[in-house]
Amino acid sequence: MDNTQLVNLSQQLAAYRSMDVIANNLANLSTPAFKREAMKFEEFVQQVQPSEGQTGPQTVSFVKDTGVVRDLSEGRLESTGAPFDLAINGNGYFVVQTAAGDRYTRNGHLALNGDGQLITDSGDPIMGDGGAITITSDDGDVHIATDGTVSGNQGQIGKLRLVDFADDHALKKEGDSLYSANQDPTPAATSTKIMQGSLESSNVEPVIEISHMIDVMRAYQATATLAQSDAELKRQAIDKLGSTPN
Amino acid sequence: MRALSIAATGMLAQQTNVEVIANNLANMNTTGFKEQRAEFEDLLYQNVEQQGTQSSDTGTIVPSGIQLGAGVRTADVYRVTGQGDLQTTSNPYDVAINGSGYFRIQMPDGTDAYTRAGNFALSPEGQLVTQQGYVVQPGIAIPTTATAVTINAQGQVQATIPGQTAAQTVGQLELTRFPNDAGLLAQGNNLFTETASSGSPQSGVPGSTGYGTIQQGFLETSNVNAVSEITSLITAQRAYEMNSKVITAADEMLSETAKLGS
Repeated sequence: MDNTQLVNLSQQLAAYRSMDVIANNLANLSTPAFKREAMKFEEFVQQVQPSEGQTGPQTVSFVKDTGVVRDLSEGRLESTGAPFDLAINGNGYFVVQTAAGDRYTRNGHLALNGDGQLITDSGDPIMGDGGAITITSDDGDVHIATDGTVSGNQGQIGKLRLVDFADDHALKKEGDSLYSANQDPTPAATSTKIMQGSLESSNVEPVIEISHMIDVMRAYQATATLAQSDAELKRQAIDKLGSTPN
Repeated sequence: MRALSIAATGMLAQQTNVEVIANNLANMNTTGFKEQRAEFEDLLYQNVEQQGTQSSDTGTIVPSGIQLGAGVRTADVYRVTGQGDLQTTSNPYDVAINGSGYFRIQMPDGTDAYTRAGNFALSPEGQLVTQQGYVVQPGIAIPTTATAVTINAQGQVQATIPGQTAAQTVGQLELTRFPNDAGLLAQGNNLFTETASSGSPQSGVPGSTGYGTIQQGFLETSNVNAVSEITSLITAQRAYEMNSKVITAADEMLSETAKLGS
């Protein structure tokens, strides 16, 4: 078995995937409430036949990607001044009612639809404690308090539902800034605040991503060099061993 | 290599961002212009290894799984409908709306359009019209003999006619509101039209509950804030650069691959 090349290949594939993850982080530099991700790798050890002159068990370590971990730290709060831009300060998610069921998001860039319902960018209503929140033009300027209470000229309109999960990492990304959950949400802690007129920016740090990118690129180049010297070694071996003695 | 196309979506998104900022800056001095902002969302994820699946028959589960993203997309470009500053012009037919509401304009094809740009003028027949010559609704005709025209905060248009002691009321301006202003469709020329997303228009007298008041001799300036636009421009440009760096890096990796076995 050609272990050098196979170990090399496992590292090359890992580098390709890391690069994809870094590219996705940088592409989402301006996506509100985007959480950066990083690949997690582990060693995959295989027993091999000892080569000549060696004793004891011999092992070869491959690299294997086992997961993508999300960095759940909070992004900076960026002031936008738009009345329906909401940032969550602390742990918690908004509840969005989609055709496929309840979804969760931290991207609080909301708008109104023609019926006055508060909706997300994809047009799905955001849930209050008693269903969707409908704002009429008689409500005038809408104020959203830090606990999620939505009120206008005519008093309270509703209260935004904020939920949290026992294990945030298990949430599945669905695109469009939405997450789906296979666990039951619990009400968010009262220390979680909603800030009206701000958006949570993406927590991608360009410096970190660019330096990871350079790391990955260099690691990839190293495997390419290794593959070439391995090929060279084999060519020489074939040349030497295959030459007929004079 | 997926990194190439992911970085390309990032560059496209930042390009849209710069285009929106350019349009805001170009319209810094446009009467009644509302600043726009581009908003982004992540694209679909490919599940390589599903989190929560069993990693052994004793019931241990995969904690985080592998989900690979596909980049970013522009989710929407929305209008920030905040009030612009009122600038004095002393032109009697310049009217600004202080508060919410739009003027209703009749387009040449008979349909309605809405605007907040109150830089009106008179037609040869004495009708109050926009700079394109479209009639402001409900139609208001100023008598040709009038020496002065006053428009009060409630939108009453009064003309002073020589030989008469009391000013004569010649019309009443109306304002139109929408459940969702941001859903109006921009038509250019400072005009907007109704859409399913804006909701149906409601007309009312200026100054009544929920409607703004009228300021004669003033214009509403654009609500573009030059400082915040320039800061966004710098951020967008840097983000564009960083995405292009990813393309360079991915390209270098691919070229290393191509060298293998040569």
